[in-house]
Amino acid sequence: MSKKWMPLVSILLIAVFVLAACAPAATPTEVPPTAVAQPTEQVVQPTEARTTPPPTQAPEAVKIVLWTKEGEADGGLQFVQSLADAYTKANPTVTFEVVNKDVETLREDFQTTSLAGNPPDLLWTVSDHAGPFTTADLIQPVDDMVDLTKFVESAVAAVQLNGKTWGVPISNGNHLMLLYNKDLVPNAPKDTDEMIQMAKAITKGDTYGLVFNQTEPFWLVPWLGGFGGKVFAADGVTPTLDTPEMVATLQFLHDLKYTEKILPKESDYNGADTLFKEGKAGMIINGDWSLADYQKTLGDKLGVAPLPVVKATGKYPAPYTSGVFFMIPKNLAGAKLDAVKSFIDFVTSEENQLNMVKTLKRLPALKTALQNELITKDPILAGSALQMTYGTPMPTVIEMRCNWDAMKPEMQAVLANQKTPEAAAKAMQPAAEACIKKLQ
Amino acid sequence: MSQTDLSINTAATAGQVKPRRHSFFYAGRRDSPFKRLLIHAALWIACLIAVYPVLRILSVSLRPGNRLLSTDLAIIPANATLESYRIVLFEKPFLTWIWNSLSITVATALIGVILAATSAYAVSRHRFPGRSPMLVFLLTTQMIPSSMLIIPLYILAVQLNLVATYRGLVIAYAVTAVPFSIWILKGYYDTIPIDLEEAARIDGCSEIEAFLRILMPLSTPALAIVFLFNFTTAWNDYLLARVILGSKEELLTWPLGLQRLQAQFLTQWGQFSAASIMVAIPVMLLFLYTSKYLISGLTLGSVKG
Amino acid sequence: MITSEVITKSLSEVGTTVLFVLVGTILLEAVLYLILMRWLKYKYALAFMLIAPAVVGLIALVVYPLVWEFNLSLTNMSLRRFKNPSYIGFGNYIDVFTEPVLKQVGFFQLFGQTIAWTAINVFFHVTFGMILALLLNREMRGRGIYRMFLIVPWAVPQVIAVLAWRGEFHYELGFVNIVLQKIGIAPVQWLSEPVANFAAMCITNIWLGIPFMMVVLLGALQSISGEYYEAAEIDGANSWQKFWQVTMPLIRPVLTPVVILGTVWTFNNFNVPFFINQNELETSDILVTALFRAAFQYNQYGFSAAFAFINFGVLLAYSLIYLRLFGGLKGAYE
Repeated sequence: MSKKWMPLVSILLIAVFVLAACAPAATPTEVPPTAVAQPTEQVVQPTEARTTPPPTQAPEAVKIVLWTKEGEADGGLQFVQSLADAYTKANPTVTFEVVNKDVETLREDFQTTSLAGNPPDLLWTVSDHAGPFTTADLIQPVDDMVDLTKFVESAVAAVQLNGKTWGVPISNGNHLMLLYNKDLVPNAPKDTDEMIQMAKAITKGDTYGLVFNQTEPFWLVPWLGGFGGKVFAADGVTPTLDTPEMVATLQFLHDLKYTEKILPKESDYNGADTLFKEGKAGMIINGDWSLADYQKTLGDKLGVAPLPVVKATGKYPAPYTSGVFFMIPKNLAGAKLDAVKSFIDFVTSEENQLNMVKTLKRLPALKTALQNELITKDPILAGSALQMTYGTPMPTVIEMRCNWDAMKPEMQAVLANQKTPEAAAKAMQPAAEACIKKLQ
Repeated sequence: MSQTDLSINTAATAGQVKPRRHSFFYAGRRDSPFKRLLIHAALWIACLIAVYPVLRILSVSLRPGNRLLSTDLAIIPANATLESYRIVLFEKPFLTWIWNSLSITVATALIGVILAATSAYAVSRHRFPGRSPMLVFLLTTQMIPSSMLIIPLYILAVQLNLVATYRGLVIAYAVTAVPFSIWILKGYYDTIPIDLEEAARIDGCSEIEAFLRILMPLSTPALAIVFLFNFTTAWNDYLLARVILGSKEELLTWPLGLQRLQAQFLTQWGQFSAASIMVAIPVMLLFLYTSKYLISGLTLGSVKG
Repeated sequence: MITSEVITKSLSEVGTTVLFVLVGTILLEAVLYLILMRWLKYKYALAFMLIAPAVVGLIALVVYPLVWEFNLSLTNMSLRRFKNPSYIGFGNYIDVFTEPVLKQVGFFQLFGQTIAWTAINVFFHVTFGMILALLLNREMRGRGIYRMFLIVPWAVPQVIAVLAWRGEFHYELGFVNIVLQKIGIAPVQWLSEPVANFAAMCITNIWLGIPFMMVVLLGALQSISGEYYEAAEIDGANSWQKFWQVTMPLIRPVLTPVVILGTVWTFNNFNVPFFINQNELETSDILVTALFRAAFQYNQYGFSAAFAFINFGVLLAYSLIYLRLFGGLKGAYE
């Protein structure tokens, strides 16, 4: 057997050497982007970005490495690529390399590459990355680079830490809302009692009145707001988890499952999503990222409404709003920085913001775009915008991670009927405090 | 009949004559039909358990819409469609990922086998100072969790300009697989008596010639194992590839590519499963084809205590 | 689709890699040749030249990171002190044993969980692997087909298999609970209940690991000459005695190293506990997953480096015991 190997191996090696000699020697740093055939996306066609970008002051050739958390699934990555391509067409000296990374991967890799000294040139990422990146001093403030007054205040506020603004908003939202299947639930409920009644009427067999992701505390905080609670004290860094409001919230969720019996026994994100898509759930609490997908599956049967008023307090639940932001690595300067600034202006121009609304069904961060007819006349987007007005910006300080980690197991324990709401709330507080102490 | 005799017997016949068959299937010749039925039933149940989860992946890949879970238990779902396969093959750079993985893996396997064969020869046939500590060192490298190495390896790669190239990755894979490879080959070489090589040397061969002409042909099964081991190390790896290749789209290997199909809340399960099936099948075929080498090879090197 | 540019690009990458390795090796060998053979006329020159590439590679890939990590473990690097961490001596090492590693669980509980995980898995791997090997070591029809199916868990890439199993442990829609309900047992909350989650991890890993054991043990069984069994039968042994007196001693040289290596691999197994534990229950963490989380989710770089060394130390102690038992350091002359 090894005798037959040798000639094969030698032929392979020779072939490889010949090809290596022919192909240009790849210098490690400046590999020019080869025009790999872009896969045409039949699902979502991004509309051409037609705005003429402002003239750049960068005559030398510049390559910008842009990391984005936008994936292909909802058309986000294609949209980013189309913006980059349009900008390059108008400014041929600036080229882009768009790399998609999943949210956690993006954060980890950005930290690793910054440590090694070769971070990317621009980030398109979520607001809660501002916390870790500013703590480790990896990005630069944008107050002097962009006119921030043209953006929605709550969006800008999300990335303001230590008196400076650390990102430029692109889209706003990422908030939870009540989505319902009009076949099962004809009209949106106005308050929680009505919601429970409607759900009870539908819950039988393998159909449930209400579903949501029972494993992540992101789905708990809207109700906490509805009961009047907050996870941080006024200073924004001290956790306030062991509060009567938290107990009330946990009790409410617990009762939905065990007293009113309108929830499935165990449900994570995929479980809830599947049930709703299969028509086995009347209502689902999910975020604006899922709108496009549900519209495809349910079409006109999809209804969007804000989470109903909590009967006991008369308040609207307050889901966390956050956004997608541009963030600029710390040491970016010179021609690259100018190109980046110009690109940011291009992307946040009104025309491109409206393009984004059309393509991705996301709410823009630019104030003028938000008032456009595109949003006000579309029931889905209008419903989403309405919910956003009741929302509250998600804290982006690094201590927030401790809150999430403290709430998660306790929330799951309460929903698994393993702990009482009081005991769970009591356990959350010291866990968050211990975690924060470790961050010092 | 001592252990040593058994091993010499087996080693001498390795690669030349198939081992005598009569001694193997000693059991089974005189079982009652009932016992045979039980055995077949037990094996069928075991096979079902072994294969079922993979069949479920297949059904997710055939399911229309984008659903990981379903209330439908059928393996071939209602309205089964090959849409996911079509999208993955023609609209995503799946073939690119596979091709990249294949290139890296074959390069790794070749380099790894050569590296291990030469090093194992030195360790087996020469008692040089530092040999024992080196063997211990090789073993301990198996015990380091890879997550510990990511950051320093990345920093090293940046300093040596190996980021976003295959050079660093192939070397890293080959070196990662080297310790286990050396141990297996050394164990195998140890069972082949040195008399054969010494005879060749007396006849005028140089040491290297004796190595290539006598020892290597006899150790084909162990070389096959080392090849397979290097192959799977490079083929399945995610962490190292992510660190070194993570930012260059056209260089992605299939684990990185599959991760692209996953997002926090928007995983394309149909496509992910279709890609998974398409990745798993060639690997399964490779395993089936080489499993006969694995069985004879894994044990022939270790029967000697 | 795949374009010719892509093919050429990856081939050229691979080509430059092989070239790079070849040139590097030739340089290294030339230097060593000159020093060891010509100048020093060293007896073991050839041996050193042969192992040099592997050793150099290992030093770069293993020793350098280890040293770097050790240095890191002596600092207090975290997000706050990302660029300018300061040295705190062995403080991290003490913290590993005294402070909770992630949220509430401490080192000794994690260690206990890891030992339980390893013991349970290895026990079932070996037991079921042995049973299947014994069943397959018979003259019967369909052996090849059985072997083909039974190898599937080993051949499927591990991450894919783990994600598939995680889907199957879903409370309502996974087939595990559906099967349980059909035979009358109440469904289990595999993903949210601590003990159930640990069991789910074990079940998945047992499924994954049996084929390897089976193949190795089958090979070992097939190398036992039938004459031993005939001799035992003449002496009047029954099946049970044949197994323990003939089979076991003869496969021990194979069984011992494979069990020990399997133990090490299970101890350090990252994929299964990490992905099955979707809800990040701390009771389902083993040492390496807690290590990963501490480093990348909690950004406690210094702490996790110390933790990694302690993990490594445990396995190092184990490996030294392994070498005593196996005596694997003996070479061709013994």
